[in-house]
Amino acid sequence: MAKYIAQRIVAMLLTLFIIITIGFMVIRLMPGGIFDEAVDMTFEQKAALEAKYNLDKPIPIQYALFLKGLVLEGDWGTSLKMHINVPVWDIIKTKIPVTLYINFFALLISLPLGIAFGIVAAIRKNTMTDYLISFMVVIFISVPSFIFATLLQYFVAFRAGWFPIIFDATSVGFEKFRGLALPILALSLGPIARVTRYLRAELAETINSDFMLLAKTKGLTERQATINHGIRNSMLPLMNIIVPMFTGIMGGSLVIETIFSIPGMGGIMVKSINAPDYTVTLAALIFYSLISLITVLIVDLSYGIIDPRVRMGGKK
Amino acid sequence: MEPILSVKDLSVSFNAFAGTVHAVRDVNFDLMKGETLAIVGESGSGKSVTTKAILGILAKNGHIDSGTIMYQGEDMAKYKEKEFYKIRGKKISLVFQDPLSALNPIMKIGKQITEALILSKSIEKSKAKGRAIELMEAVGIPNAAERYEAYPFQFSGGMRQRIVIAIALASNPEILICDEPTTALDVTIQARILELINEMKRERDLSVIFITHDLGVVANMADRVCVMYAGRIVEVGTCEDIFYRPAHPYTWALLSAMPDLHTEETLFAIPGAPPNMLHPPKGDAFAARNRYAMKIDFEKEPPYFKISDTHYAATWLLHPDAPKVEMPDILKHRIARMREEAERG
Repeated sequence: MAKYIAQRIVAMLLTLFIIITIGFMVIRLMPGGIFDEAVDMTFEQKAALEAKYNLDKPIPIQYALFLKGLVLEGDWGTSLKMHINVPVWDIIKTKIPVTLYINFFALLISLPLGIAFGIVAAIRKNTMTDYLISFMVVIFISVPSFIFATLLQYFVAFRAGWFPIIFDATSVGFEKFRGLALPILALSLGPIARVTRYLRAELAETINSDFMLLAKTKGLTERQATINHGIRNSMLPLMNIIVPMFTGIMGGSLVIETIFSIPGMGGIMVKSINAPDYTVTLAALIFYSLISLITVLIVDLSYGIIDPRVRMGGKK
Repeated sequence: MEPILSVKDLSVSFNAFAGTVHAVRDVNFDLMKGETLAIVGESGSGKSVTTKAILGILAKNGHIDSGTIMYQGEDMAKYKEKEFYKIRGKKISLVFQDPLSALNPIMKIGKQITEALILSKSIEKSKAKGRAIELMEAVGIPNAAERYEAYPFQFSGGMRQRIVIAIALASNPEILICDEPTTALDVTIQARILELINEMKRERDLSVIFITHDLGVVANMADRVCVMYAGRIVEVGTCEDIFYRPAHPYTWALLSAMPDLHTEETLFAIPGAPPNMLHPPKGDAFAARNRYAMKIDFEKEPPYFKISDTHYAATWLLHPDAPKVEMPDILKHRIARMREEAERG
């Protein structure tokens, strides 16, 4: 198992390296220079600035210098435009926690809720309950999260006044949670629906499997058979959708953070692309890639926990 | 002998998209205590449906239309789901056709064997492991104590079927229903599983309903045989009645179609296909494929004619007014050979 984990981490770092390489090149190749809008700067001033940030060198050399700084000194470079000369790490380190907070919370509540609704829908298949759940699922899957964010912001926060309309970055503890509750909810609705739909289909099939029939003929009640044999078996395929679901949540949070004025990585990413601020964009890209890769790793490792066939197969 | 289970006029149908499928029509049989009753028939003849009806595990769109299933003085055909819990596994157990899919792939087999016992509180948790190992040894799983912790995918097909049998026997049932238990296994394993079932039957005083389409298996296992066709039992008798003195043209056809080592002619095949059970034919369901069919076969369903105390068949050929028809030559030769072999042992 340790060997497997080590292998996976090496592969993960390799993937990350490829992402950074491609990301670096693509960001640098975007049209428009950093100082294009600075019309009051002389040509010499611009040249001096470009030389300072190594922007005058060929891209492969810039890349080599960037990697050298990042790997050897943990130096992410400094912001070029948004917060001039502030180290990139100082900018993002304050933004990462709040983004992780809402993304993981969204994942944390969408899994159990999705699983619960999925089980109910599968057990009550083709009844009113199932139709109602399936109807909601279609709505929540097809409407993007920022629509829900806007609706929640208007009706629940503004009209009803139950929650803050925008997030107060200075709040802590429960107030912080209250401020982030609506964005988390907006982010979760889609994933809840996806999990529900997936689990309903899986469980409905598992319920008709031979081993469920055997469980019944050996004397288990319908309920015992479903809980002991049905649910865990239908969880296996569910693991497959957790990764795309989580990246979906993160993609959604890019926009949601802006709607609720949450000072997170999403806002930084969007603003730095528009600025343009190469170093910050790249840092945000690396952050999102790393989170996704870690999610993939955790999901892959947990296959073995849920499914003995995966765990034991690896031993041979 | 006392019948332990008695099925009377049982009819089962399924509501399908295209209409109502009459899968089982007026089936009657008694299972005597300690006997093995084989139910033989081709696919779709209603064998499995009959046993599923007994255990109350018909698919959601299936239901018992009429008839009674008497067991311990109660009619199980009228049971609600809840009442079946005291029967399933505890009194009547089922062994499936496909042991590869019958076990939960991600649960340790030891737990699967004792799960029902623990949940029904018929054994303490601490004693469950010992009981499971005992059962695994009884069904011939080597190194049972070690393999208690193993998962189904670590066993071969034959071993998995042994585990399924162990699960079925865990609560000491009175009746064991084997639904084509060897169909999914290869022939050498087949013989051992059949031997195991016979051994368990002797040791545990079981009554067995054995469903199969393999007449070779029937000859080895059964005391009595029911031949089913299109949802009806067309002939019932002791093993000898059915193999040496078959009376129904369908039984003749089945026996003629059985491959053996000595047949020199082309193997007999029953022409046509079984009737569509959405619209069961009027008269004898086998008439359209029966080369001995008479006019009345297409008009009126034949009643059961008594041949001996143990032997009944539903065919108009046995009516006193019917012309005398001999069984086909190929079958006569075959029966003669079977007798010879039986005498030689």
